[in-house]
Amino acid sequence: MADALAIETVNLRKRYDDVEALRGLDLQVPRGSICGFLGRNGAGKTTAIKLLLAIARPTGGEARVLGLSATSDAESVEIRRRTGFVSDDKDLYDYMMVDEMVRFTAAFFPRWRADLADRYLRKFDLPRDRRVRALSRGMRTKLALLLAFSRGAELLVLDEPTSGLDPAITEEVLQAIVAHVAREEMTVFFSSHQIAEVDQIADRVVIIDRGQSVVAGSLDELRERFCRIQLVFDGDAPAAAFRSPGVERVRRQGRVLSILSSAGSGGVLDEARALGPVSSDVVPVALKDIFLETVATED
Amino acid sequence: MLFRPNPSSGVPIYLQLMEQVKHGIETGALRPGEQLPGIRPLAEELVINPNTVAKAYRELEHEGVIELRHGAGAFVSMNAGAKKLTDRVRAAQTTVAATVEKLRARGVSDEEIRRLFEAELAGLRRPAGGHGG
Amino acid sequence: MLWYKAWCETRWRFLAGFVVLTFSACGTVLAYPRVMELLRTAPQIQASGIIGREIREAIEAARDYRGYIWSQAFRQNLIQMWTLFAVMIGSGPVFGQASGGGTLLTLSLPVSRRRLVGIRAACGLAELAVLALAPTLLIPTLSPIVGRSYGVGDALVHAGCLAVAGSTFFCLAFFFSTLTNDVWRPLLAACGIAIAISIAGQVAPGLACYSIFPVMNGEVYFRSGSLPWLGLIASAAASMLLLYGAAANAARQDF
Repeated sequence: MADALAIETVNLRKRYDDVEALRGLDLQVPRGSICGFLGRNGAGKTTAIKLLLAIARPTGGEARVLGLSATSDAESVEIRRRTGFVSDDKDLYDYMMVDEMVRFTAAFFPRWRADLADRYLRKFDLPRDRRVRALSRGMRTKLALLLAFSRGAELLVLDEPTSGLDPAITEEVLQAIVAHVAREEMTVFFSSHQIAEVDQIADRVVIIDRGQSVVAGSLDELRERFCRIQLVFDGDAPAAAFRSPGVERVRRQGRVLSILSSAGSGGVLDEARALGPVSSDVVPVALKDIFLETVATED
Repeated sequence: MLFRPNPSSGVPIYLQLMEQVKHGIETGALRPGEQLPGIRPLAEELVINPNTVAKAYRELEHEGVIELRHGAGAFVSMNAGAKKLTDRVRAAQTTVAATVEKLRARGVSDEEIRRLFEAELAGLRRPAGGHGG
Repeated sequence: MLWYKAWCETRWRFLAGFVVLTFSACGTVLAYPRVMELLRTAPQIQASGIIGREIREAIEAARDYRGYIWSQAFRQNLIQMWTLFAVMIGSGPVFGQASGGGTLLTLSLPVSRRRLVGIRAACGLAELAVLALAPTLLIPTLSPIVGRSYGVGDALVHAGCLAVAGSTFFCLAFFFSTLTNDVWRPLLAACGIAIAISIAGQVAPGLACYSIFPVMNGEVYFRSGSLPWLGLIASAAASMLLLYGAAANAARQDF
C-alpha cells in the first residue's frame, strides 16, 4: 500500500499576484530518507512546503504526499494527520502553557505517543506551566519539534528547524531529529540554510533555485558525480567550449581553466587532452560549492 | 572512540567512518571479535544519518573487515583477512611515510602532497613531459 | 479543543463586553427614578428636526417603565454597544490569534477549513447570545430595586431579537475577516456599515422600516406585541449567506 515516495511533486507551480514563486518544481523524496531542501532566500522553499500541506494551493501541477493528493480537501486532511510540521516561525499559540499545547495537539492525533511527549519534555527540559509567549527561541523550537515528533507521524516536514539557534541548541535539535529517525520509521524533509547540517544528517538533497529544482539526488551520489577539473596551461588558458554532458561552469583565470562537472571527470578530461594542458587535477567538490555553483548569483 | 566525521570535507561521511574503523583496527583500538556500536546508537552519538552508518557497515562487511551477525550486531572480523589487512596497511604506512619525507625534502608543501595523492587516486592521467611550474 | 481555542482567542473581548453591557443595563435600571424626576420638572421641549423628534418620542415612550426600558436600553445603549462588541468579536484572523500568530499551526492540523471556520463562528455567536441574554435578564432582576417590575418574557424576546438580528453584524465582520488578515479593516468596515445604516434610518424615515436596527430592538414587539418575523428571518438568512461566503473564502485563501 505504501508508495515508495513520501513526497512527489510534478511540475508544481505557484503564482502570487505577479510573482511566480514556483515554476514547475519536480520533487521526489523516498520514504525513510532524510532529505535536505536547500535554496537561497526567496527561491521557493517555504512556498513548496506550504503547498505540500495544503496551507496554500498550487496554480498548476500536482503534489502528492504519502500517496495522497495535496490538492484534494479530504485527502489533505489525512496528509496533515500523518505529517508533523514545524513552520519557519515555530508557530504556536502564545497564550497557552506548554502542557496545554501538548494536550491541545494530542487531541487531534489518534496515534499520539504520550510516551514520546513525556520523554521529550524531560529531555528538552521544557517547563510545563510556562506560557509559550515566555519561552526563549530555543525552547519554542524544541516544543514545536516535540509536538511534531509525538504525533505518530510518518513524515516530518521542517522549515528551517535550526534557524536563529546557537550552535549548542542546533546540535541538540539535530541530535533529536537523528535519534527520532533512528527509532521510528520516518521520513524527514527539512529546508535549511546551513549546508553543514544538511551534509551531516541528510542522505538526500534537493537544491531549489528560482522556483525549480536544479540538483537532486543522494548525497553520496552527488559527491561522486560532482568534481572540479583544473587545467593549467603554458600560456593563457584557451577559451574552450566543453561539450561533455554535465559541464556546469567553466572559469578562466590567467593560465588556469577550472571546470565544474556534474557527470564525473572522464568526458571532460578526454576533451581536455586535445587542448594540451601542462597539468590537470581532479578535485572533489563539497556540497557548499555544489550549491554556490548551481544557484544563480547576481551576475 | 569514534569521533565525529567532518561533513564539509568533501569526502563522503560513510568513507570517513570506514576509515576510522579500519584505523581503529590497525592501531589496536578495535580488537578482532570486538563488538562495534549499533547502527542507531552510533548515528545518535555522532549525529549523522543512520543510513550512512548502515552503508559504512555494509561496505566494511563487504571488504571482510567486520561481520554483521543477524540480531547481534556488528563485530570486528576474527579471520586472518583482518590481520593481513593490518600488516598490509602497516607496510603501506612505511612507504607513504618515506614518500612524504622525500617530497617534503624537495620543498613540496603538505597541501600539494595531499592533492597529488587525491588526484592520483581519482585516476587522472598526466600528459607526458611536464610538471607545473 | 477547537472550541477551547476559539474561546481563548475571543475571551477578553467577550469579558469586556460582558462587563460593559451588564453595567450599562444596571445603570439604566438604577437611573430610572432620577430620569423620572427630570422629566416631571422639564417643560415641553420645542426643539425641531430629527433631534427634537427623538426627544419627544423618548419622553412619550418613557411615560411608563416598560417604555423607558425599551427606549433607553434596547433602542439605545444596549444595542449600540452590543453591535460594537459583535463586530469586535467577529473581526480578526479566522484561523489564528489577533496578531496572526498560530495561523500556520491551526492550518497544519488535520481539520478541514470548513470545520475550523464553523467552530470559530459558532463560538462567536454563542458568546454574543450570552452578551444579549445576560444584561437583558438583569433588567427584570434589578427592577424591583427601583420599585418596578419588568416581565422576564419581554426580556427574553428582546434578547432574542437582538441576538438573532444583530448576529448579522457579527457575520459581516467575520466575512470581511476572511478577505484580509488584519484585525482593523474588518472592524472598521463593519462598523462603518452599521453607522451608515443607522444614519440612513434617521435621515430617510421612509427607509427606516427596512433598517435592521428596529428589528434588533424589537420595536414591533414593543408596540404591538407581535414578533418582527420578517425582519428576523431576513437577517437570519443574511447571516447564513455571509457565513457561507466566509467559509468559501477561507477555503480558498493562501497563507
